[in-house]
Amino acid sequence: MVKFIKRERGDLFRYSVSRFLFKNRPFLFALRVAVALLFFYGIFLGFYDTSKENIFTTALFWGIFWPFFIVTTLPLFGRIFCGICPHGFLGKYITRIGLKRTMPKWLKNRFIGLMLLFLGWWGVYYTFPGVLRTPLGTAALFGVMTVVAFIFYFLYKEMAYCKYICPIGTVLRGYSKLSFTWFGSYNTACGECKSFDCAKACPYGLSPFNFNKKRSMDDCTLCMECTDACEAINFRLVKPGYAVYQRFKPLKAEVWGYILILAAIPISMAFHHGLGRSNISDSMPWARSAEWLKGVIDLGNVDTTGMFAFLYATLFTVAAATIGMWIASRILKKDFSSTFYTLGYAFAPLFILASMAHAWEFFFTTNSARIVEGMAWGFGFDLDVDPMARRTDSWLIVFHMFRWIAVGWALYILYRRFGFIEASRTRKLVAFPFAALLILFFVGVNLYRDYVIDTYGRKPRAHHIDSQHRSSADRAHRHRNIEIVYPLSTDLLWLSDTSPFGSRGMRRGMRAGVPKRSVWLMTGSLGDPKCADTDGGLFFAVDANGIVTTPKAKSGVCSSVSFEMPESGYYNLYYLHTFKAPDKEVTKVARYEFKRFDHGEHPVYDKKKMAAGTIDEVPFDILRLRPKDETFYSRLRTGDEVSFKVLRAGEPVEGAEVTLSTQFGWQKLQRSDKEGIVTFRLIKDYYPEWERYNKRFRERFVVTASFDDEDGRRYEATYFGKYTPSSSEYTSYAYGLIVAILIMLAGTAGVFFYRMRINRPYKEVKIDEKS
Amino acid sequence: MRRVREFIDGIDLRKFRFWIQLGAFVLFVYGGYLAIDLGREIPIFSCGYNDQHGGMCYFMPLQHQLARPWDRLFSAASLGVLSGFFFFLLWFIIFNKAWCGYFCPLGTLQDWITVLRKRLAIPYGRYSKVQFFALKKVKYIFLAIVLLFPLLIGAGFLDGEWRAAFCKMCPGRVITPMFVGDFSQWAIDFSSKTALFLTAFGVAFTALFFVGSFIKKRFFCFFCPMSAMHYIFSPFALLRLKKDGAKCTKCGDCYHVCDMQIFDIADDVKSKNILRDDCILCLKCVAACPEEDALHLDIVDMAIFRSTKGGFAKRMGIDLKEEVG
Repeated sequence: MVKFIKRERGDLFRYSVSRFLFKNRPFLFALRVAVALLFFYGIFLGFYDTSKENIFTTALFWGIFWPFFIVTTLPLFGRIFCGICPHGFLGKYITRIGLKRTMPKWLKNRFIGLMLLFLGWWGVYYTFPGVLRTPLGTAALFGVMTVVAFIFYFLYKEMAYCKYICPIGTVLRGYSKLSFTWFGSYNTACGECKSFDCAKACPYGLSPFNFNKKRSMDDCTLCMECTDACEAINFRLVKPGYAVYQRFKPLKAEVWGYILILAAIPISMAFHHGLGRSNISDSMPWARSAEWLKGVIDLGNVDTTGMFAFLYATLFTVAAATIGMWIASRILKKDFSSTFYTLGYAFAPLFILASMAHAWEFFFTTNSARIVEGMAWGFGFDLDVDPMARRTDSWLIVFHMFRWIAVGWALYILYRRFGFIEASRTRKLVAFPFAALLILFFVGVNLYRDYVIDTYGRKPRAHHIDSQHRSSADRAHRHRNIEIVYPLSTDLLWLSDTSPFGSRGMRRGMRAGVPKRSVWLMTGSLGDPKCADTDGGLFFAVDANGIVTTPKAKSGVCSSVSFEMPESGYYNLYYLHTFKAPDKEVTKVARYEFKRFDHGEHPVYDKKKMAAGTIDEVPFDILRLRPKDETFYSRLRTGDEVSFKVLRAGEPVEGAEVTLSTQFGWQKLQRSDKEGIVTFRLIKDYYPEWERYNKRFRERFVVTASFDDEDGRRYEATYFGKYTPSSSEYTSYAYGLIVAILIMLAGTAGVFFYRMRINRPYKEVKIDEKS
Repeated sequence: MRRVREFIDGIDLRKFRFWIQLGAFVLFVYGGYLAIDLGREIPIFSCGYNDQHGGMCYFMPLQHQLARPWDRLFSAASLGVLSGFFFFLLWFIIFNKAWCGYFCPLGTLQDWITVLRKRLAIPYGRYSKVQFFALKKVKYIFLAIVLLFPLLIGAGFLDGEWRAAFCKMCPGRVITPMFVGDFSQWAIDFSSKTALFLTAFGVAFTALFFVGSFIKKRFFCFFCPMSAMHYIFSPFALLRLKKDGAKCTKCGDCYHVCDMQIFDIADDVKSKNILRDDCILCLKCVAACPEEDALHLDIVDMAIFRSTKGGFAKRMGIDLKEEVG
């Protein structure tokens, strides 16, 4: 026994905070009592209020215990949850007063616990979905497990329940090998030890002083009893996965635990929830098998699809693991068992990392709100909180990347564990991919799932049907608000790139390939636009090289025209409609012009090509003349002068009425001069508060030109455009210069005075020796 | 061959550097007028805000690319980001940090300001060791801004106004366009709080740039995130600064001529590769070294410029024979 030891760096018992967290007896006792109280309160509430109202029990067990105490802490700190588990905590007291018998050999089988988890929980989970996740189901499950645990603790010594019967005992033992902590002892002190106090103190009958030598922590649950008996025990920070890089005696149940849990959780989920929710779910083998079974026998409430997905997942996973390892063992010329159990530890990270990431993603999207609401409900409050993130938030992709980290790590562990096998380099190299077959299978399933979801899309989820209905109803409602008008000869017609449905005209599809633009024909006023019917009109599209095509309008609630813009330059779209009104014929032209520019292509601004033009198909046209210094970067801004030219059959029109009206209702009317030119100055006509000011705001305007010719024919043309605030509206040189000059002066003065101080002239100091 | 060697080793580095720097300055600042465009992956502060740049600083496209929404950033659509990065590396590994000492327009400008200071006979300042080690960390903070802020925008944590945040804070944005007559970057943008902060920071930093580089050689390079970025990839570069510690007498000449005040150049007699994160590979140390072959510049283990007694004497105007005799 050692009373004092100098603790090395990285020993968690060396630093006061971690020492308090992991070693302080009163603190640990209080923590265990608190967890036990929560645990039993959760079970009690589950029986007391079995309705859906009870959100406490499920939030406690499935919102906190599973994702945090188990899945998150395991790959980080190891089995620290076991250290505060209510079963183990109370079990120690029960064992003390119990019969302390030795567990019979047939019960000392770790596969009992493993199968309880694999079939008893996950099998049931897929076959009877939802049963165990109700408050009553949860409470019953944990209630029964508690009673069983207490009986075992009472009967048998050395906490045998934790080792063999506890459903998560063996699994936790296995996954804790990935953590970056190691529980061991200082060999210098242990070498001289004759009293073995740590082994005497261990309720599990283990010998902590041997952990380092065995390179295995055995069944240690980090209950920290031995740390009070002897100071030589340490709890160190090590490299992640330190334990699996060591040569130790493999435990079969651990390797099978990795494989079965991988089958039961990530693979089954990918089958049943990933692929099962895609649009081609019906053609998946498990769905077909379920269909076939339905014809043979009716199993009532059983979710046969889930059952078969689980079955196939298990089958495939076990097959991939065993076949791959068998081939590897042949190549390595070793027996199957030693190869399988030595290399099988490489499968450890696949489940636990992916699952930890999933738990966190779920925490941000749903669980955080569920925990807070559930906890509040359990103690008589009523809270309604928003989740911390939305499912569509793009940063959540971080959590998806964990599964690839897991794959990389698994391959690395496999590489390290190959070092424990004696074989030639070539044999190892050839055997490696076969030994990694399960890892590759995991990769394949993930890629295939992503591929299917991307290609075939996701089916609307059953329990989201309500919201689906709501959103489609919303859409219909919004559509109903959009009035479709059959335009008359007196109505204003213009082409707009602002979608009447609220989203922008730019297509999302432009990401890859040729950019596209959609344009809608609108009528009414800019402030209150309505969709115009395009029957009886013609569309002309003009590309950057002046080639005219006649696109067809896409039918929909509001009809639109899309055109592709393969290169930089001006693209135009015309709508031409001639009305035969009773008194006269009215020709209406709506024009939309767009300057497409991709600075990645380094296009050259060719003034001739970029000049405003008209086409023969349109009898009456309005052109926006280009400013002299226009470049691809130019954009209309407040305060700019814009000139328009009115043309009829290619000839300038004098005296045409030209009106510019803006989105906010400002209007100005002018008549065209001899050359058919009108010039407007774009004004600022809206003044938002500073907080809401947007320097990139694009105010819409429409310029309308109209002209009656000698034959009594009327021509109207509209030009749609946008302008942004001028930079002089929101930038200031004066302030910039003031800031610069002040800083320069301050800096110069600072340097000057600093130098004055350190370069103080030499002064003779006389010391009077007498005084 | 020996004569070529001797010629190179005895080169007047000051003149050599001056002409290369001048040429590079014209190339990168006025390249647009000469219809030169070396792309947008240049590993120096050849600012894209200058319309006439002859090749753009890699940080501007990098920040824009990294600001893509994450689902797009981590998809095949971002192969372009990787190819851009590849070209950046390609440029970089050729010259290593000599980009800073020979080609960077902002660096050249600081050297010219230093010349002005010298003419005015004002002494230059140096950092104390404590200041040095505290301040050299700043560039990594700026590098974090360059790399992390766009990612945070893509994740939706930061407003789009923070796009290319470092560019707005960088003195290069304010200074470089001035050489083609564009003074608009001195203005402060009041359209939003973020823009206000960033542009004011930029202008303030520019003011500090002028004051700082006047009294401290290569003042800005000390805080330059590009220099930090260079250092990450410098182990892969072809051009290397090497030191033979056995031949070093720790006379400190190299340290005294070093614009960046790198202590290791004189102190460290153990490492072979003497390139440090602040180094601008100006080669002044090699030129100032009086020991035969103690410092040398290598291209893939082939020395191309070495410190020699003869070269040192020639540069210092000492006649060796006379001294010996």
